[in-house]
Amino acid sequence: MPDLRWTLRLDGSALPDKSLIGGKAWSIARMRALGLPVPPAFVVTTRACVEFLAKGDWPDGLAEEIDAGMAWLEEATGRRFGHGPQPLLVSVRSGAPISMPGMMDTILNMGICAETEEALAEEMGDAGFAHDVHRRFYDLYADIVLKCVGAEFPPEGDAESWAATLKEKSGQAIPETPRDRLFASIDAVFNSWNGRRAKRYRKHHGIPDDLGTAVAVQAMVFGNMDAQSGTGVLFSRNPITGARKPYGEYLACAQGEDVVSGKFTPQPVETMRETVPAAFDALMAASETLEEANGDVQDIEFTVQKGALFLLQSRAAKRAPAAAVRIATEMVREGVITPQVALTRVTPDQVRLLLAPRLKPGEAEAADELCRGEAASPGIGIGTVVTDSDEAERRAAAGENVILARVTTSPEDLHGMLAAKAVITEKGGSTSHAAVVSRALGVACVVGCGVGSVTAHAGQTVTVDGSTGRIYAGALAAEAPDEDAEADLAQLKDWAQAACPIPVHTPEAAPQAQVLDLNAIEGGEDAANLPRLLEGAEAATGGALATEEGMAAAIAAGLKFVVGKPALPLLLAGARAGTAHEDRETVAVSAQG
Amino acid sequence: MNEQTLALHGLAIKKHGDAAGIAQITGLPEETVTKHLEAAAQAGRVNKAGEKYMLAPTAAISLQSGYSRDFAEQRANAEMNAAYDDFETVNDQVKQLITDWQTMEVGGERLPNDHSDKEYDAAIIDRLGDLHEKAEPVLDRLTAHVPRLKVYKDMLLEALERAEDGAIEWVSDARIMSYHTVWFELHEDLLRILGRERVE
Repeated sequence: MPDLRWTLRLDGSALPDKSLIGGKAWSIARMRALGLPVPPAFVVTTRACVEFLAKGDWPDGLAEEIDAGMAWLEEATGRRFGHGPQPLLVSVRSGAPISMPGMMDTILNMGICAETEEALAEEMGDAGFAHDVHRRFYDLYADIVLKCVGAEFPPEGDAESWAATLKEKSGQAIPETPRDRLFASIDAVFNSWNGRRAKRYRKHHGIPDDLGTAVAVQAMVFGNMDAQSGTGVLFSRNPITGARKPYGEYLACAQGEDVVSGKFTPQPVETMRETVPAAFDALMAASETLEEANGDVQDIEFTVQKGALFLLQSRAAKRAPAAAVRIATEMVREGVITPQVALTRVTPDQVRLLLAPRLKPGEAEAADELCRGEAASPGIGIGTVVTDSDEAERRAAAGENVILARVTTSPEDLHGMLAAKAVITEKGGSTSHAAVVSRALGVACVVGCGVGSVTAHAGQTVTVDGSTGRIYAGALAAEAPDEDAEADLAQLKDWAQAACPIPVHTPEAAPQAQVLDLNAIEGGEDAANLPRLLEGAEAATGGALATEEGMAAAIAAGLKFVVGKPALPLLLAGARAGTAHEDRETVAVSAQG
Repeated sequence: MNEQTLALHGLAIKKHGDAAGIAQITGLPEETVTKHLEAAAQAGRVNKAGEKYMLAPTAAISLQSGYSRDFAEQRANAEMNAAYDDFETVNDQVKQLITDWQTMEVGGERLPNDHSDKEYDAAIIDRLGDLHEKAEPVLDRLTAHVPRLKVYKDMLLEALERAEDGAIEWVSDARIMSYHTVWFELHEDLLRILGRERVE
């Protein structure tokens, strides 16, 4: 291999520093180093960009190195850039060591031209798709490289008419050959480093101006080449139940956007066993490798091109609360992670959701649903609907169970919210005042039920299910799960007790002491006030404690213990407050944008 | 267009404005605006209440009818008209962005944005920065035919940078020269120059 000064081939033989190749290229290199199939790529390093910025022109030898890099990609893929019969298309993306606004977005379909459109149409047996690949390239080039508005490229047009439109609207001609377009795009990435927004962002955040950005050039793969091609998503474990069995979907002869669009119904990933068995086996192996290397459940995007598997992106998977608990405890038993790490994988909110009171089986089905909104804080609240916060406070003080129903809530409603068994609103989303404060208080809450919905039920007895966002007529039967009865939760509680710096007691088991009830004092629902409110207290209880910030304040105030039921959310918050979080580095590459 | 007519034109864009505000969008010195508007008030062509002026109905009509002469050159110019058509394209995107700024979709429903979600807001301001970069060449093409329009471009950038620095009212607050206020007044100016109608 020739001596490379400005570019690096991401062949997995080394893992260069992120500051030299940027985050995207680093992820590609890491996956290659793990022996995983990733579309081949090379990177123009930040060193080349720095030289460009200093000199005002490309460093000597860069153009030759890019040509050599493209030749390497051609060799690795068996395809040709700018020519048929099997054309190579690449993506071009910026990759600064630190992500910042204003950097150039990804250009796809680089390499398409009249000749390669025809070749691709032939190869795919789909002239319409090849034409759209071509059209979309003009769209992206106009929008991203030339920052041009008002240029429209109708599907019925051809390259000649599109190029004329581009010239007319941007005042600039698109370079003739794929090679010149590639060079112009790399130039545009370099220049975006000195764009107004990027410069201001760096100044604002004290980031040096001479770091430069890298440019990753990666071969594109297509899932719609033939019947042995397709695209899909795989979770290394079931993200709903947590079961240790890969779970995913696959759509044969399709591109990534077809899966997202909802126009087609993907099949279970197991169907790959029939049509592309080698790719299926490789995918299962990759799933194991990625999970082991990253020590967490992975969400993997992949494409199969002519029977060969390519991984596009892998990151830590989002998971349902029940799955979070099961996966965290099982991974400890498997020896993959330590109990300390397991405690950081389950949030207090997830446990609160799992342990929140719920309707007994069959109750909801038989009940009359009055309205529904967004589930904002879990739990069941049963009582009489009251639309005024003063009234809610008065009636609750007299021993009545009340549900506070408001169009929206504001800080003036706090006393009513404190008195209520649940809060329901007509307007607002999961970040509205009602939602945020209810979660802090640990009160069930449903928001955004629609204008005229909840306040119309004043005086009626209702049951509010804050976990599903539904409101039912009458008082339904509810039950609270027992945190000690379920094995995984009990295990988690054991570890959390060991890691939490202060004891947490349930009300029945709490020792004799003056317990400060934060839910009963002004400002006690906001964890930010706790350092002040907890000063001098012996012990405390209240919803705001079940957050990292809340437990950190309790620990700092030197409380003897805190009181709450269930105890696990508090214990988890305490354990998390006491430890630094693991760095959730994701191995993420994307070939299709 | 002479200074006197330009002062009245600026007032027509503002509808109800003070000398400082009109000076800002026309690029005239504030004393000049005051001098002409006070004279117009004396002549009954402008009504004054407190510090704010309003065009009298007859003056508004005569201003309108003079535009075809004042802006004959721009109206006949193909480049100016083409640039305006592209402005309309960006305008659609600005309007969509402002809608996204003022409302957010929650559970399939459009609700007012209460600006408690900082990431949502930051993503929109980032989009506005991108849109502004695309608008700049279009504004330059317009300015080539009406040099005084450059003040709008400067005000847009100023509002954008204030919003980027965290003063989010500079995105769309109607009481200040926010990005949307400036954009709206520039649009009004262009409509009058080219004798076009606002498409809603």
